[in-house]
Amino acid sequence: MDMRRSEVSPEDQARYLRRGDYARVTAADRPGVAQPVPLREVPAQPWGRILLGAFVLFAVLIGVWEWYWRAWGAVPDYYNSNAEWAQQRRRIDNGEGNKTVLIGSSRVLFDVQLPVWEKLTGERPIQLALEGTTSLVTMENLAADPNFTGHLLVGVAPDLFFSGFAYRGDALKYYQKETPSQRIGNWLSRKLIEPYFAFFDEDFALPKVAKRQDWPARPGVPNRLDVRKLSVSEADRNTHMWDKVYTDVAYRDLARSIWAQHLNGPPPPDMDTPEKVAKAIETQIQRAVDATAKLRARGVEVVFVRPPDAGPYHEFDEHVFPRAKTWDVLLAKTGAPGIHFEDYPELRGFDPPEWSHLKPDDAVRYTTALVPLVERGFASETPASAK
Amino acid sequence: MVFNSLTFVAFFALVLVVHNLPLPWTWRKVNLLLASYLFYTAWNPPFVILLWISTVVDWYAAQGLVKAKRESARHAWMVLSVVANLGMLGYFKYGQFLLDNFAAMLHAAGVAYQPAPHDIVLPVGISFYTFATLAYTLDVYLRRAEPAENFLDYALFVTFFPHLVAGPIMRPTELVPQFEQPRRASADQLRFGLALMTLGLFNKVVLADGFLAPVAEKIYDAQAIPGALDAWAATLAFSGQIFCDFAGYSTTAIGAAMCLGFAMPDNFRFPYAAIGFSDFWRRWHITLSAWLRDYLYIPLGGNRHGERRTLAALMTTMLLGGLWHGASWTFVVWGGLHGVYLAAERLLRKHFNGYRPGTLALVALGLLTYALVNITWVFFRAKTFGTAWTVLGGMFGTNAAAKPILSTFFLLSVAVIVGGLVLTHWFMRARTLESVIARAHPAALCLVWGLLAFAIVIAQGEGAAFIYFQF
Repeated sequence: MDMRRSEVSPEDQARYLRRGDYARVTAADRPGVAQPVPLREVPAQPWGRILLGAFVLFAVLIGVWEWYWRAWGAVPDYYNSNAEWAQQRRRIDNGEGNKTVLIGSSRVLFDVQLPVWEKLTGERPIQLALEGTTSLVTMENLAADPNFTGHLLVGVAPDLFFSGFAYRGDALKYYQKETPSQRIGNWLSRKLIEPYFAFFDEDFALPKVAKRQDWPARPGVPNRLDVRKLSVSEADRNTHMWDKVYTDVAYRDLARSIWAQHLNGPPPPDMDTPEKVAKAIETQIQRAVDATAKLRARGVEVVFVRPPDAGPYHEFDEHVFPRAKTWDVLLAKTGAPGIHFEDYPELRGFDPPEWSHLKPDDAVRYTTALVPLVERGFASETPASAK
Repeated sequence: MVFNSLTFVAFFALVLVVHNLPLPWTWRKVNLLLASYLFYTAWNPPFVILLWISTVVDWYAAQGLVKAKRESARHAWMVLSVVANLGMLGYFKYGQFLLDNFAAMLHAAGVAYQPAPHDIVLPVGISFYTFATLAYTLDVYLRRAEPAENFLDYALFVTFFPHLVAGPIMRPTELVPQFEQPRRASADQLRFGLALMTLGLFNKVVLADGFLAPVAEKIYDAQAIPGALDAWAATLAFSGQIFCDFAGYSTTAIGAAMCLGFAMPDNFRFPYAAIGFSDFWRRWHITLSAWLRDYLYIPLGGNRHGERRTLAALMTTMLLGGLWHGASWTFVVWGGLHGVYLAAERLLRKHFNGYRPGTLALVALGLLTYALVNITWVFFRAKTFGTAWTVLGGMFGTNAAAKPILSTFFLLSVAVIVGGLVLTHWFMRARTLESVIARAHPAALCLVWGLLAFAIVIAQGEGAAFIYFQF
């Protein structure tokens, strides 16, 4: 075979160069002919020394970057990624469908400690809570999955649950469409990177670091800060509050100011009138009613849990999503048991540093108090110490 | 798997090791073929069957073409190849689009018809490998090349993982001969290949995904109404994003092939320094534009049958080229606009034959070209015509209700990155990367390479897919 018979002669190449002012001839310069084998030169340079030098520089820079973040208080932990969530979600598909599953938003993620639960019940639940995300996304998915026959704790953070907001709604789609390549990549990341490098965290990514510098404000554009790192995760998504949030007052205040943006900012367009808010609440409760009915028809026990919050966050929730119009209606319509922190002395008295999540030792105390109540709820009893 | 993933790093390291073992050349080619299938199945294993179908159909079609005694038989083999490849492409890529348009036509005629959802996943890279295999039979049909003698070489040409899913769209004559003799990269080829891969990944992970994509998303994926500054900034950001994404992929692919000892053609030649649209298309996605020219524009008559026929061939080629990018009318409009630009340029060149612009005029024409290209990017990026009109309204200052949207940081990112990109293209417009690197001081190369690699790692990309995978 002669596939090179149409190779362009050096004279032709020179002609094309003159005509097109192009530095190298490509298929664009050879119409209607078989294209020849491309020529790719390697620039004359001491590439061995260059590679070595570049590698040394790279290694030094990575070392300095790691040192910087560790000095700032970061520790290596597992990435709270869609891949890690999908890995936990797959446990239900792979024979653990009869387990207790925790869904909710960041309050269930930070406040419910799996080791404590395991110590009290002998079973370590599957943690599927997603920060900034209504539980209903996962609840509906589990309701539609016959593999899931266990127990379900549904966290209710009023501003997320009753608005239907889903910051991490893409996690479910990722789980459903995850490719073998992504699974392998996540496995490699968990084995080779995440346990060893503190800088490997979404909050420390270069574009995010650059974005949050003190740039001059543009008139008319609100200077909204993105939510910062608040937690540290383990291999099975057991998560607790990052110690910087409660030991560093400035950082705690920053976290509070970020929540304050949300609490004091304008409502989203779909919730900017009382009628729209009422409609949103009704829609979300109906979603919960439908999902609960499906789950219970399959023998899955469902317990709703309203974790503690405090300060302006609590005031906001009570103002926009008052308990009588949300939580009480939810329980009445679903017929499922619920545990509201205000109803149980043992669940009260916590002081969330940034109004929304508990410190690690408080999370241990909270989980210790919560687990017996949830267990009774799963047994379809009204928890005994309810007011 | 995508190049910007840990999976690819591990995969590529393994492929390199096996490729450099003292094994017979056939075994090493089998390694590359199996690795390429693994590379593809890492997305969605069942779709490898489509790849096999495309491979086998064109292998036998080319054999049939050679053996055919009559012209009608040759024609039939060519038609079989075209129908099989375009049929597969049509079913998977355009099925839903055709159904939707059929239903819309019936609706317009007063017939209520709601088709069942097509619900088909688009196989990654199908547009690229069907064009590669089609080139094989069409080159044989057009008597530009003989078919490959060896099925392994041919299958490897179709499947070779650096170009498989997003190009450069290889011609058989570019790659098959490279499989005939044992190849192994020299030490310098390996090092320079790695340097190219670093450059490509920097473009993708840091510039495209890290800094430019969020700016475009803020305007194109939100409901807000942008003013002139925001609309232009977002569109310029997208122009930078799509270049860094796609040229980044091509550079990484060329580097990966070089590490294995193979040469792949340029796919970009600093297109944002183009002066005019024929120049732009000789610099942007070169392997696609050359493919469309050789297998569509020229067979449609090219410029051999008078001005009207030429313009018709040009418009048809660009409209279909637009549709190749995606099953949506917005892509057709994108292609159509480029067709109009090319036609207008052709007429203007004829009218102003003999005009030789000076340096300032050249720069002005180049900037005009870039501005007009940006108008087309609006239709490429917008998911609906509604969004496209809103952004265009902003760009032309007709959005009275517009309020500022993008922060200072976003505006600065666009100014620095896209401004730097355009200046770089102008500096490089008559140069090659290799010629500039050859003149650079080794210490500067060390510094740049180390910084690029560092930036890739600390940008912590999430393995986002390259934009052109969806095509």
